[in-house]
This record gives sequence, C-alpha cells and structure tokens, in this order.
Amino acid sequence: MYVVLAILFGQIDPVLRKPVPVWNPVDWNTIQFRYVLSHIFGEQGYFGPALVRTAVYVLVASTICLVISYPVAYYVARYAGRWQGLLLVVLIAPFWISYMMRMLAWINLLQNDGLVNEVLGFFNDAWRVDWLSGHATTVILGLAYGYVPYMILPLFAGLDRIPQSALEASRDLGASRFETFRRVTLRLSLPAMVTAVLLTCLPMLGDYFTTDLLAATPGTSMVGNLINNAVLTPGQTGQAAAFVLIVTVVSIVPMLAYVWVSRDREGVAT
Amino acid sequence: MAGNPDALGRDIVAGSPLRRRLRISRRSFLRGLSATIAVPATAQLLAACGDQLYTSGNLVLASPDHPVKWPLSTKVPMIEPGLTPEPGSTLKIYNYADYIGPGVIKAFTKLYDVKVTVSTFNDTDEALTKIASGAVDFDLHFPSYDQIGKMVAGDLLRPLTHEYITNIDNLWPQFKNPWYDQGWQYSVPYTVYNTGIGWRNDLIDFDVSALDNPYDVFWDPANRGKCAVIDDWHTTMSMVLLRNGIRDVNSGRVADLEVIRRDLKAMSEATDPRVTITMYNDLPAGQYSIAMMWGGDAVNAQYYLPKGVPAEVLSYWWAEDGLGLVDNDLMVLPAGGENPVAAHFFINHMLDAAMASRNFGYIGYQPPQNSISPESVVADGYMTEGLVAAAVRPDDFETSPRLLELDPVVDAEWHNIWQEYKASG
Repeated sequence: MYVVLAILFGQIDPVLRKPVPVWNPVDWNTIQFRYVLSHIFGEQGYFGPALVRTAVYVLVASTICLVISYPVAYYVARYAGRWQGLLLVVLIAPFWISYMMRMLAWINLLQNDGLVNEVLGFFNDAWRVDWLSGHATTVILGLAYGYVPYMILPLFAGLDRIPQSALEASRDLGASRFETFRRVTLRLSLPAMVTAVLLTCLPMLGDYFTTDLLAATPGTSMVGNLINNAVLTPGQTGQAAAFVLIVTVVSIVPMLAYVWVSRDREGVAT
Repeated sequence: MAGNPDALGRDIVAGSPLRRRLRISRRSFLRGLSATIAVPATAQLLAACGDQLYTSGNLVLASPDHPVKWPLSTKVPMIEPGLTPEPGSTLKIYNYADYIGPGVIKAFTKLYDVKVTVSTFNDTDEALTKIASGAVDFDLHFPSYDQIGKMVAGDLLRPLTHEYITNIDNLWPQFKNPWYDQGWQYSVPYTVYNTGIGWRNDLIDFDVSALDNPYDVFWDPANRGKCAVIDDWHTTMSMVLLRNGIRDVNSGRVADLEVIRRDLKAMSEATDPRVTITMYNDLPAGQYSIAMMWGGDAVNAQYYLPKGVPAEVLSYWWAEDGLGLVDNDLMVLPAGGENPVAAHFFINHMLDAAMASRNFGYIGYQPPQNSISPESVVADGYMTEGLVAAAVRPDDFETSPRLLELDPVVDAEWHNIWQEYKASG
C-alpha cells in the first residue's frame, strides 16, 4: 500500500510520462488524488457513474451468487450423504479452468449467432438479443457466473459446521422444519454468508476483465476498468493509484465492521 | 461496578469493549513505536533503490513540416558492421498480437538458426511504459512513429547499422528519409495503413460510403448496439475532429478539445459503441455490423469470416478527401535488447519483397514495398473489390492528416478526455 501511495502522491516523468514514486511523505504531491476526487461528483463527475455502476453490479451479482449458492451449499452439506465428496469435487472443478477461458466460452455462447440466440430464435426470432453490445445484464450475469464457485465453498464450510444436535434440539422443542431452518440454520450460517459475500465482493470490485470481454463499452465500465486504463496510460498511473486507494478504503470498512461484529459471535457460531 | 471515567467522562468498566479498545499494552506501544521509526527508514531505503529517471522535458516534436534528425545515442552505441547472428541464440520480439506472420518467423529461424519469441502488447502506450521501466530485454519492437521522439529522448533505442539492412531499397522512396527520423537512423517502416469504417453489408441495409458524412454512423441512434470504435485514444478522438471537418488531428486548442469531449459524450449516448481493437475478429463474426477500423484489420477480417460466408460481405470506406488518417508502423531496436545483430538481420529479412508479401498475406497490413500496389493487391487476391479502399498509395501520405507526437501537456489533456469518455459512458 505504501508503494501505491508513493505513486499516487509521486511525480511523472515529463517526457516518458511514467510514474516516479516519491517515497518521502514530506514531498508528496496531491494533484493526482485531487484530480480524481474532483471528477467523481458534480458537473465534472466523469468517474462517478463508473463507481456507482460498480457498486450496483457488485451488489446485484453478489445477491445472485448468494441465491444460487446457498441452496447448493445447503444441499451438499445436509443431504448429499455419501455423494458429498464427489459433489465437492464438481463444485471445485471450475477453479481448474482459468477465469479467462470461462469468460471466452460465454462469448461464443452469447454472440449474435451463438447458441443462446439460436435457442431463443427457435421459439421467436424477435427474442434474439445483442448480448455483447454493452448490456449491464450480460456483465452482471458474467460476474455472477464467474464468482459463484467462490461463494459456494465458504457457505458449505459454514453450513457443514452447524451441529446436528442444535437442529435436533430445535425439532424436539416443537419447531417445524421451516422454523428450524429460519431460526437455527439461517442464523448460525450468517457469519458464513457474510464471509462468502466478502470473498466474492472484493475481487468483483477490482474486476475489469468480465466487462472488457462481455461488453467493452463506456456504458458498462467499472472501477476496475478505470484502474486498468489508467495503469496502461502514460501519465495516469497516479490516477490508477487513487482508484486503488478508494477501492481499498471502501472494501476495508465492511471488513473491519465484520471483524468487529463477529469477534464476540465466534463462540456461538462454532 | 463503577469504573474510572475517561476523558469524555464515560465510565470505563474493566474488561468492557471500550476498555479493551483504549488499553495500550507495553507490547503494542513498542510495536507502534517501531512502526513509526520503520516507515521513514523504509521510505529512505526505497528511495535509494528507486529509478529516478528524469529526462530533460525538452521533447522535440517531429512533423512533416518539421523533419527531425535525431542525435545518435551516446549511451547505446550502434553495433559494428560485418557480424553474424549467433546460432542457437534467441531473438525477442515485442509486437501487437497477430501482427507478424508465423511463416516469416519460421523462415528466419531456418535461415539463421535463431529462435524467435514474440511477446505482445495491446497498445503502444502500454509497450512504451514497459520498455521505459527497463525491466524487459526485447530485441525488436514495433511502435508507431509518434513514439520515436520519446524513445530517443529516454535513450531507449539503439541506432541502426545500415550495412545490415540492404533491402531498404525495396521500400517506397519517401521512407528512406522520413520526416520523423531523417536518415532512418533508428527506424525502418513495417506497414502502412489508413483508418476508416468497415461494415458487414449483409447485416445493415444501407451503404456507409454513400452517406454525406460516413463518420455520422457512430452518432446515429438507429445504429445503437451495432457499432465499435478503436480502443486507441488518438485514433478515435481524431475521428471526432475529422467528422467535424477539422484536419488538425493533433490540436492543442481548447475549442477543438471541447468538440472532442462533447462529441464523444454524444456518441456514447447515441450508439454506445464497443471500444476494442479486435474488430478484425468481431466484425466478421457478426458481433457488430459497423466498426471504425484500421485498413489492415479490414483486410485481415476476410480470414475470420464464419465458414460459408463470402468475403464480399465485408466493405470498407476511407475518406480520400483529406479527412481520413493514414499512418505507418515501425521496426526499432530497444536499447535493452541482448541480440542486436539478429535483430538487424530480422529487419532486413522483413524488408525482403517475398517475405514482406508473405507477411502481408497473414496480417492484412500492407508493407510499403515497391512491388505492391493497390491494383496488384486485388489482382493477387489479398483483398476483394469491396475492401480496396484499405490499400495505401504513396501519395496518400502527402494529402492525409497524420497522428503526431503531442506536446506532453496537450498529450495529458487528450488522455484525460479519453479516460473521461471510457469512464462515464
């Protein structure tokens, strides 16, 4: 992080426009940071939409991940029985394939004459969609698809650790299956849910690859794209560092809140 | 149980969260103290290790009206003539993806027993950033001519030893003494290309070239979801100026930059085009129907069409009236290269007429060879009639605007506008 700060508050080579980090805080120059901050809000707020978009995309994609992951993890933890090992292997399998390859596969599926449109066109030609022409939906679904395995595993770990005796006690005391799920399983799995959401949210916040491959329009740019563009542009590395700092601060706050809240719950959760 | 009041008058109960938060143990105090001492010490250490590469700031800007003969580098000398590549050595090439034919590389390896590796970059800004870092040791690089001034100023290039490059006579005469590198001391041209608009004529129901101002297609909301523009700040921003009839595509005037800013925003609102450099693949695949394109990519797109789709579905337009860009890319020797002899031999190899034609057939970008003309490219099957506008003539360089190296302050403003466009959408 100190290197990021040294670049953010550093200087720029006047000809090659590459960053010249300044290591002594006394000599730091805030011009790049002020430039980014002044372009987030107000009339000159060019960066604001990408930041808001990132928050919305990450929130929606995480919710989709959770909705998909929880039942899957719950089933594997509670009902898979002797198939549990095999199902876990199947769940881990996507990790063996690079993220890029998985996204490239979606390009083939979603392009205008791809399988998805062929299926939609089979029912009605008007149902065909230009999926790759800068749709927020495509990016969000791409993010959800890409990060869903990262959510299933921590959820499984959390659900698997819930003691059977707690569930049996709930039933013995007259609670229905639904009530037991709502009042025991769901509550005891809350820390696992928060962990899982954090584990997926943080990489999603810095993701630029998904939107680059599945949309690549300014209308779907995320903060990761701003960082990537700035890093690769001579003279703008300081801006990239500013965005990194903003993302770091935004991600650290919920993490600290989680650590603070969960530290006294640890005994209950286990 | 009552406790001691804190500075705000609150009771501190032993063992309460507040107490735990405020208590500072001896260990944590010492840890904090050591960190306080360590930060400036680390800063000094890092500063000692840092690469404070400051250059003069007096960047010389070459242009057709201001030809420049660069000084020969004193830090990076040219190699002696009469040497031969070391058999079994490796030549490291740094280039765009799909911008050199594997056939010509294999032929070179067979001829000189030199292994060739190719590393790729997405744009020349990225390449310059990496080369300037000093952390790479590429022997041969393929930049555009608007970067040569920076590279010479930063001592990032090795001057060429002309004795090795005997095939220079195969090139158009103007490239033996180009304005951006008088006396071709550091560079030889690799390809020439113009920038226009390509489209799938089977996917749209109008002829782009027949419009009053074909550039307007990117501002027509009817084309939303069908368009793409080049992910290159200078090229796409220049297209905005050319659309408005402004031929100075290197302008530093505030009014011109405002036109760019305003029209990029309008374009985003109207068609929100994809911003990419893979149109040679995406356009033939039908991912969009209209794309701002480098002419070479339009030619190359023929080979990426789905099976059974004829090359005639591709069309290309370029403004011949002085409102279309024409440019060329270069071959240069980065200073950090460890195999400059083989690099010289490779340059000469690429200037051989047969090799240049073979490479053209693979990458779609025309070499400025005397043996290749707009008439011959169609007759020899390099491109269809619909793509012939992508062929470049020597005269085009006399009448068309060029993308030049910008003053650093102007350059920063252009880049900021591009960043704003790509961010805000």
